Amino acid sequence: MFDFSVVIESFPYILGGTFVTLKYTLLSVIFGFIVGAILALMKLSSSKVLEIFSKFYTSIFRGTPLLVQLSLIYFALPQMTGYQISAFEAGVIAFSLNSGAYVSEIIRAGIQAVDKGQFEAAVALGIRPRLMMKDIIFPQAIKNILPALVNEFVNLLKESALISIIGEADLLRRANIIAAEKYIYFEPLMAVGFIYYVLVILFSKMATILEQRLNKSD
Amino acid sequence: MIKIKNLSKSFAHNNILKNISAEVAQGEVIAILGPSGSGKSTFLRCLNLLEKPTEGQIFIKQQEITAPSCRTHLIRQKIGMVFQQFNLFPHMTVLENLIYSPCQVLKESREKAIEKAETLLKKVGLFEKLSAYPSQLSGGQKQRVAIARALAMEPEVILFDEPTSALDPEMVKEVLEVIKSLAQQKMTMVIVTHEMGFAREAADKIWFLDEGKLLEVSSPKEFFKKPKTVRAQQFLEKVL
Repeated sequence: MFDFSVVIESFPYILGGTFVTLKYTLLSVIFGFIVGAILALMKLSSSKVLEIFSKFYTSIFRGTPLLVQLSLIYFALPQMTGYQISAFEAGVIAFSLNSGAYVSEIIRAGIQAVDKGQFEAAVALGIRPRLMMKDIIFPQAIKNILPALVNEFVNLLKESALISIIGEADLLRRANIIAAEKYIYFEPLMAVGFIYYVLVILFSKMATILEQRLNKSD
Repeated sequence: MIKIKNLSKSFAHNNILKNISAEVAQGEVIAILGPSGSGKSTFLRCLNLLEKPTEGQIFIKQQEITAPSCRTHLIRQKIGMVFQQFNLFPHMTVLENLIYSPCQVLKESREKAIEKAETLLKKVGLFEKLSAYPSQLSGGQKQRVAIARALAMEPEVILFDEPTSALDPEMVKEVLEVIKSLAQQKMTMVIVTHEMGFAREAADKIWFLDEGKLLEVSSPKEFFKKPKTVRAQQFLEKVL
C-alpha cells in the first residue's frame, strides 16, 4: 500500500534539508539568545524607558503569529526599503527577533530566581553591578535558564518548518517537492516527521546531560 | 568611627525606624537587641545602605555616606557584612569565595589574596576546606567562611545580621567563638543577635531597639542587671 522506495531514493535530498533546518535553528538560537539577553537586561535595569521598550517588544513578538512576522520581513520589507532580502536572511532575522522575545523572558525569570541574598552579598562586598551579573548572578541563573533554553531550541527547530513557505529548501519543503513530483504524500511527510522527531529527542537528551554536568557543583 | 544622626526609615507609610542617633567608637562591639519587628535588621542594613534611609545622616570616619555624591560601592568595601543565611557564592569554592572580591574589587594580586585567604581560613579553623564548595559545609562552617570572606576585604567595621539564627544549636558556639576572637582583636562590630549570653559577654555596649526607637544604650552589665526602661525589662523577662 505504501511505497517508501521513493523516500529511500530521495534520501540524500531529504537529508540535505535537515542541514538547512539545523542551520536556521542554530543561527536563530544564537542571535535570539543575544537579542534575548539584551532585552532581559533592559527588563531588569533601573531605567523605566528601557524596561517599557523591552516589555513592548516582547508583547508584540509574542502577541502576533510568527508567520505574519516572517511575511512582513520577507515580503513587506523589500516593498518599503527596496532591499531584496533573501529567504535565508528573512528567515534568520524573523526567527531571531521572535525567539529573542521568548528568551528574554526565560533569562529574566532565571535571574530573578537567584536568591536575593546573593545580590545583597555581592553588593555588600562592593562588587559593581556589571561584575556581579557576570561572575555571581549569571553563573547561577544559567542553571535555571538552560532547560528552558533547550525547550526554546526544540520549539524553534519545529517552527522552522515555516520557512518552507518563503521557499527555502528545508526539510518540510523538500518533502513537499517530492510529494508534488511523485504524487505521493504520506511517505515523504512521514519521513520528515520522523527526522524532526529524532532531532528533537537527540537535543533533549544532550540538554539533560549538560544539565547534570552543571549541577555537579551543588 | 560611625556616627548616626536622626536616622529614620519608612516603607510606604510604615515608619520602621524613628529618629535614631548613636555613635560607635573605634574597636567597639555593639550588640543590638530588641523584640522581633523592632527594626533591628533594617537599622543594620541602613549602615551599609542596603536600605536607603528616608531621613538623617550616617558618617563613617567623618565621611557622610548618606550624601548624594557619595560613591556607595567604595563605602561598602570598607564595611563587611555577615548575613543570617550566609549567602556564600555556591558556584565558587571556599577559596574562590574569599579571593573574588579582593582580586576583582580591591585589585589585589592573586598570590596576595590567596595568601591572605589561607591565613584567614586557618584563623576560623577551616583551612582544610579550602577547595570545598559551600554545599559540602555545615551551617556553622558556612558562617565561619562568610566571616572570613568579610575579613578578606580588610573592613573597618563588620555588621552581623543575626549570624547564628539559621544555625542548628550545636553550631552556634563555633561561630560565636570566632566573633569573640575578633572582639578581642579590637575589630569594630555591630551585631544584631538573639544570643543574650553572647551579648552580655562580648559586647561593649547594648543598643535596645523597640518599635523603631533606640530606647536604651547601656553597658551589658547595666542592661542585664537593671535596664532603664520598662520595655527593656519586659523584653528581658521574656527572653531570660
